[in-house]
Amino acid sequence: MAADQAAIAGDTAAAPFELPSELAIDTDVARRVIGGFIRGQLEQAGFDRAVLGLSGGIDSALVAYLVAEAIGAERLLAVLMPYRTSSPSSQADAESVVADLGCASELVEITAMVDGYFGADGSGGASGGASRPSGPEAEPASALRRGNFAARMRMAVLYDRSVTWSGLVVGTGNKTESLIGYTTLFGDSACAFNPIGDLYKSQVRQLALAIGVPDAIVRKAPSADLWPGQTDETEGGFSYPLLDRILFWRVDKRRSLEEMVDLGFDAATVERVDRMVATSEFKRQVPPIAKLGPRTAGVDYLYPRRRPGSARG
Amino acid sequence: MQTLRVALAQVAPRLGALDANLATHHARLAEARDGGADLVVFPELGLTGYQLQDLAAEVAMRLDDRRLAELAAATRGLSAIVSFVEESGDHRLFIAAALIEDGEIRHVHRKLFLPTYGLFDERRFFAPGDVLRAVPSRLGFGLGIGICEDFWHLPVPQVLALDGAQVLVNVSSSPGRDLAATNEVGLGTATSWRTLMRTYAQLTTSFVVFCNRVGVDESISFWGGSEVIDPTGQAVFSAPLHDEGLFLVDIAPADIRRERIALPLLRDERPEWNLRELRRIVAERAGLAGDATADPGAEAGLDVTPAEAPSEPIGFDAHRGRATRPMDKGA
Repeated sequence: MAADQAAIAGDTAAAPFELPSELAIDTDVARRVIGGFIRGQLEQAGFDRAVLGLSGGIDSALVAYLVAEAIGAERLLAVLMPYRTSSPSSQADAESVVADLGCASELVEITAMVDGYFGADGSGGASGGASRPSGPEAEPASALRRGNFAARMRMAVLYDRSVTWSGLVVGTGNKTESLIGYTTLFGDSACAFNPIGDLYKSQVRQLALAIGVPDAIVRKAPSADLWPGQTDETEGGFSYPLLDRILFWRVDKRRSLEEMVDLGFDAATVERVDRMVATSEFKRQVPPIAKLGPRTAGVDYLYPRRRPGSARG
Repeated sequence: MQTLRVALAQVAPRLGALDANLATHHARLAEARDGGADLVVFPELGLTGYQLQDLAAEVAMRLDDRRLAELAAATRGLSAIVSFVEESGDHRLFIAAALIEDGEIRHVHRKLFLPTYGLFDERRFFAPGDVLRAVPSRLGFGLGIGICEDFWHLPVPQVLALDGAQVLVNVSSSPGRDLAATNEVGLGTATSWRTLMRTYAQLTTSFVVFCNRVGVDESISFWGGSEVIDPTGQAVFSAPLHDEGLFLVDIAPADIRRERIALPLLRDERPEWNLRELRRIVAERAGLAGDATADPGAEAGLDVTPAEAPSEPIGFDAHRGRATRPMDKGA
């Protein structure tokens, strides 16, 4: 049965990751389609440059390579936005992408922005005196709050650089994290368009390997880099190949829970993934507008985003 | 030996930009003429782009539209198939493909099947056509025109061939999807279309001309891969995937006669028998006749009785009017 088979990417014993066979894509076709998509989105919006946040992880690295391949590295601005607890190795990996591509880059530390809100010790109110906050920002901040806030500060920086660089913000989120909701609303998921949002993490790895993302980035454990040693897979309790396969069969191939069990998946695990998908539905959709007037955006006022006249003059 | 030169205009229309797309059509027509083309084929909604939604009404044209007349005027000594949003006198919008020849609109095909599932939402914005006709052309052949989804329904190529078409033309805006590595040419959509076109060419012993657009509308990328298939089901030409271009392909009409004599499938078609059985099925599905081949108690549309058949509401009795006992399938 196809779902029980798993292929290893590459042909050597040093294969950097596990690629489930049912998820393998034709990377040449993917690069071709994505390249045309990137050029089309920019051209139709009246832009010829792009900006993205480069974390040092595989997703944003892959998108940087895809954008460079589509429009040339000279039209790409990569913004590195470390927080003071971010791993120095992440920044080094991001810098290796910039060096390899030869794209423009900027380093924008977000430490002052985040600490300015929460306080340097994370407990809030560090500044003291009359300006000492008394609201929720004075409470000790959880990792969730700090992580979300940092993601939204990065979004704010990117949209500011969108103006200074005169380029569109390119999304770097993958299909796996979007489906399980491992994203920050109006944070890392905010973008003008997303070239890899329909690729599972395993497919991101396959494409990254094919397009030449540095080996160290392809091999390392994916991490949101919110605290030292954090990895997605320990935090979520899933391996990406397993999670990707569950999502693929459940979402793309419409298999029922019973059929999932027949395919060899653990029912409790599938149900847990189902819950993550359902509870994060709101993150994948435009917020609903109360229907009151004759014609309502997204309901019965349905225009393509790129209609005539919509491009920047 | 006589040849017919087909020009496949694998263009990337700009969404909703009628004037820009008209200019592209004029330019490609001129290029095709310079290349000695006899028939120039443009993709589905090549004049408007595909993902129109509420723009459809804004780019719609009546058949007497001056811009269509100007396009037709560019076809003296030439045949072309162009596609656009047609507005009828009673203000229905159709996805249409017109055969224009020698300065005139000779025929208009209105898309019969409007996919409204998955990533498609056509029926929300368009009315389906009701008429399918093979048409004569100045080329000396019968042409059978279908639009994209029309060729995902078996009767369409068959009816066109029976009606006299020797060259079946499908104009498409097919969105590329399913990048699984196991697919032929790496794209599930392309694999499906290539299979269909070869099958239709073989079964109707006709040439099949498939013209699919390229470019990007919103999330959707169109994959091109236009093809000409000969009456034996072999590809004469396959355009590259995703690349814009005008591709000239020579076909030999003598291949039609040779194949139809060697493999007289079309001669052996039995439309009167098709018609009889279809009439029976239509009556049965409408509840006007009992299903002659169903198990007793079978739900309408399903010949086999489920273990526990749900009771049917009034008006849905599949066996109402049953004249004879069901056939004994065990015999």
